[in-house]
Formats: sequence, structure tokens, C-alpha cells
Amino acid sequence: MTADSSSVALTNEQQTAERREVFQYVLRRFGVYLFTLWAAITVAFFIFRLVPGDPMNILLGNITRAEGRQRDAAEQEVIIARYRKIFGVDDPLPLQYVNYLRKAILGGLDLGPSFVEYPAQTKDLVFRRMPWTIGIFTTSVLLAWLVGTGLGALIGWLQRSRLSQLAVVISTLLQITPVYLVALGLIIYVGYTWRILPAGGPYARHLQPEWTWEFISSLLTHAILPMLSNMIVIGAGFTLGMRALMISVLGEDYLTFARAKGLSPYTVLKDYAFRNALIPQVTALAIIVGATLNGTFIIEVLFQLPGLGTLFVQAMGLRDFNTMQAVVLFSIFAVLTLTLIVDLALPLLDPRVRRTA
Amino acid sequence: MPALLEIRGLSAGLRGRRSVTPVVSDVDLDVQAGEILGVVGESGCGKSTLAAAIMRLLVPPQVLQSGSMNFRLADGSYDLAQLPARELRQLRWRQLSYIPQGSMNSLNPVLRVERQMTDTLLQHGLTKAEAHKRSVAALELVNLEPKILESYPHELSGGMRQRVIIAAAVSMRPALIVADELTTALDVVTQRQILQELAAIRDELGATIILITHDMGVVAQIADRVAVMYAGKIAELGTVNGIFEAPLHPYSQGLIGSIPRESGQRVEGLPGEAPSPWKYPGGCRFHPRCPEVFAPCNERIPALLPQKPERRVACHLYDAEVAADA
Repeated sequence: MTADSSSVALTNEQQTAERREVFQYVLRRFGVYLFTLWAAITVAFFIFRLVPGDPMNILLGNITRAEGRQRDAAEQEVIIARYRKIFGVDDPLPLQYVNYLRKAILGGLDLGPSFVEYPAQTKDLVFRRMPWTIGIFTTSVLLAWLVGTGLGALIGWLQRSRLSQLAVVISTLLQITPVYLVALGLIIYVGYTWRILPAGGPYARHLQPEWTWEFISSLLTHAILPMLSNMIVIGAGFTLGMRALMISVLGEDYLTFARAKGLSPYTVLKDYAFRNALIPQVTALAIIVGATLNGTFIIEVLFQLPGLGTLFVQAMGLRDFNTMQAVVLFSIFAVLTLTLIVDLALPLLDPRVRRTA
Repeated sequence: MPALLEIRGLSAGLRGRRSVTPVVSDVDLDVQAGEILGVVGESGCGKSTLAAAIMRLLVPPQVLQSGSMNFRLADGSYDLAQLPARELRQLRWRQLSYIPQGSMNSLNPVLRVERQMTDTLLQHGLTKAEAHKRSVAALELVNLEPKILESYPHELSGGMRQRVIIAAAVSMRPALIVADELTTALDVVTQRQILQELAAIRDELGATIILITHDMGVVAQIADRVAVMYAGKIAELGTVNGIFEAPLHPYSQGLIGSIPRESGQRVEGLPGEAPSPWKYPGGCRFHPRCPEVFAPCNERIPALLPQKPERRVACHLYDAEVAADA
């Protein structure tokens, strides 16, 4: 009886210790998250101000072109001075940086006015464009991950079959193809030559955004090609990654032991091979999201979608560092948040992480 | 009494582009019910391949080339070499268990011990409660507490993991257990405890154990009979006492001579190195290292012939026919 109660007490103690470990893990991950976010914002702030070309002159040139008349030098000076004041670029750089952080954090994400659509706030601009990027990018990466993980697990498990070896060759070719080539190929053949699917724009030109079946179906058919271009390249990468993970797990001692136990091949695949190969594959998802975001920006431009990518390209042309920074800020935020979610999910998949991380 | 496992002409090798490299060649071996049979030899002599072949766990490029392995049970006889995968799966764990080499990594790091012990039992048709009870009982055999079921492998020490593997392997009370280098990664104290536990399990369950090891000390400690392997073939087979007292094969003599006995005494090692499967010599595979090599050794392959009672030797020295020719 005494032995029983003492062993129960020990288990409780262990549980408390385990809970404390999990809590510390979460806290640590969150600290890393905040620090990385700050560091990234800081780097973005200074880098865009180093891009050559004065945004004020570019802006002035645009105004001049728009109005079709040349102003005299004095008048130009006045206009530039006014804009410089509005954008706060006369202050010394460190002060600008402090002001930027202060407004962004305390001013409710006030990221300053944009040049691209002056006087619209960059914040509003980013929020308006964000759904397109999230819709196309996030969905296609997640789909690519699901398909790639499943496919990779299968061809890793059947590594010696002919079909599996063929799949590896195809995936390798697709993975090394630049995403813009895939996108251009789809636009040229599927969009223009065969005319199967629309090759550009967010939805059919004659429609207005509204909750009708016609609009939604137009939206979805327009989304297929951009998503497919993203999925093909990223999915091929996920497939190859998962295959490699599966093959290395298949060589583990615990897999031999699982087979020796007389488990059905399905159980061995599900509980021993797939379950273990999945852990690094989840981490890969977070890494790939960051690495492929720029590819999506190219896709948006190629498919003429009004997302953050096209906004960034527009802003780049004007040296609109407020908008560029806001886009980068948003991207960093999205990638880091996803990484955080993955980090927090890992201990659920892998009991060893709770201790070692 | 017929043997529990009757291996005849078993050959296994590594499949290359053009040919199969022999690793285990033409092995005949009878395993008697209830015994602990030690299989000893140097690294690379094919003893682990033999274990994997018996368990039908060879993975490409390893291939089973030929031979039969008759496994006699109360409900009939099964040739393990030919058995279809489905029937083999049902035999595994129920009648045929495996304690693998590298037991340290033989538990899945992300599943709790309970899951890994019971999943097989559940697939063999036990209920959840029965499976749990059996697992607890099996853990008791190796002196582990039931609460270990809640642990993940990384929370256990090496000795505990090894015990969990043994417990899992005996949980269905199998007729035959193949244990491959089960104490290699353990310190000597733990090693001795685990060997004692294994012997106790044999006595309690009446199981038969094939113990693969490179350690003559382990064999001396718990085996009843011993098969000495050299370069993929059995060199000598006999009782532990018989072979330790009077080894016949020059290789066995060398192996036993290399065991340190008294302090201060110089240990006699075997000259040369064991050949790799790609370089197995013709004739008797031991002849390049053999101190007593003579005329027929590099041409004729010696057969494993009975000598004294309970002893078989594959050496021309003891073959009257060969001696007469020479």
C-alpha cells in the first residue's frame, strides 16, 4: 500500500515537472519570436533607406508627368520640402527609426502614408492586398505540403519500385525549375494556346466583387493557375524531402523491430515510419514558407493579381520605403507566426523536443 | 526427439549487380526445444545475417538464396524460408520472437512503451485489458515496474530499454527467441543481470533461445550448446562444456585460447584477420590463418561431420577419408 501511494505521488510530481517544462518551452519560443520580429523590422528599416534614388524626385517626376507641365525650380523645392516633412525624412536616421517603431507599436500599427497611393495609409493598403496573398500563397503551400508529404511517404515506402523511381526523377526536374518558368508555361499553354483556364487577373473583368456564384466561380477558376504554379514547384520539393525522410527512417532499428513484431505493413507504415518522418517534415513546412514567399510575389505579378507582391513591385518603382517596409513587415510577421505555431506544435508530435529544446 | 528448428543448406548473401556475394553458406543447424544455443564468431562472420535469415528480416540487398528452416510446433510444421508473409506475420511474436542487435534504438522514440508493447498483442487478437496484463507480467520477468509503460524510450536507461525489448519479445510466450548481440552495448554488471533474467525466462516459459554473440564469455555463462561460425560457415558445434574443455577445430582452439584466464598469463590471439565475404578463400575458408593447414585444405571444402558424441566439426584434420587420401 505504501509503495503504491509513493509511486502515485511520484507520478504527480513528474506530471508537474513535465507541465513546467512545457510552459518554459512555450515561453522561450515566444521570446525568440518577439526578438526575431524586432530584428527583422530593424534590418528592413535600414535596408530600404539605403536603396539608391530619392523617392521625392521620383514622386515629383510622376506629378509632373501627370500634370503635363514643368514647374519652376522654386516651386519644385516647395513641393519636395512639403513631402519631406510629411514623410519625416529630414530627421536624422536614428530618430526616424525610433519614430517609426513608436508609431508602429503605440500608434496602432501606424506605418506612415504611402507614396504609391498617396495619401492612403500603407497599413490600409497592405490590409486590402493581404487577402489575395494569403488566399493564393497559404492555400497553395498547405496543399503542396499535404500532397507532397503523402506522395513522398508513398514513394519512400515503395522506394524500390519502378514507378517510385520515375516519380523521383519527375519531382527532381520540377523542383529545380524556377517557379516563374512554370507559371509562364502554364500561362502560355493552358491560358492562351489551349484556352482551358483564365491566365491572368483576379476574376473576370466584367464582374464586381459580390457573394454570387458567378463571381465566386470566376474567382476560383482564376486562382487555379497561380496556385498550381506554386504547388508544382513547392510540392515537388516537399515530395523529395518526405521521401528522403522516409528512407532514412526505414533504415532505423525500430523499424526492423516493428516488422519482427509481426505488425501489419499498414501499422508499420503509419505508426513507425510515417509518424517519425513527419516530425522534420513539419519543420520543413515553416522553413519553406519563408523561402518561397518571394516566388509568390513573382507569381502575383505574372498573373496580375492585386496582392502584396504586385504592391511591392509598384512601391519599389517609386522607392516608396514606407510601403516596402510594410509589405516586408507583414511577410516577416506571417512567416514568424507560422514558425511559432510549428514550434509549439512540435512537442505534441515529438516527446523528445520538450526536454532538449 | 525432432529438433524445434531444423535448418538445412541455408545460404544468404548480398545481391550485387552481377552476382550474389555469399555471407552465410550452406548452414545446417538443429535447435533443440528448450535449449539456449550460442552462435559465436568474429565480426562479419555472418552470424547476424543468419539471425536475420531465421527471422526472415533480410532486407535488400540481403537475399535468402536457398535452404529450408523447418519450425516444428504443436499445431504443425512450418518452413520459415517459404512461409507466405501473412502466415509469417501470425507466427511472429506468438511463436517466433526477436531481440535485435542495437536494441538501444529498437524502440520508436515518439511512442510510449505501452503502445509499443501492446500494438502487436492487439493485432494478435488480444483485448486491451489482456494486452496490458500481459505487458505488465512480461515487465515483471525482467524486473521492471509497470509504470515504465507510461514512459517514452528516451526517459529510460540503456539497460531498461534492453529489458523492455526483452519483455516485449517474451510477452506472447513464444517457442523460439532469436537474440542478436543483446548485451553488447551494456556495462558488465547490467550485462550479467540481463543474461540471468534471460536464463530465468527460458526456465519459466520453457522457451528456446538462439543467442548470437561475439563474446565467448556470454556463451560460457548461459548457453547449453554453441555453434562456432567462421566466414559464413559453421566450424564446430557442440556442448558448451565439451567445446570449452576440448575444442577440436583450430579456429575454436584459437578463439578459446584468446580468452584471458589468469592475470599475468599472455593471451594468445589468432594471427591474421577474418576475411570479408568478397574475399572468402576457396577450400576450407579458415586455411590461410590455420596453424595446422595441410594439403587438401585449400582445395576441398570440409563437411560438418559428427565426431565425439554431441560434437560436429568441419575440419579435414578429423576426416578419416581425407586423411586417407593425403
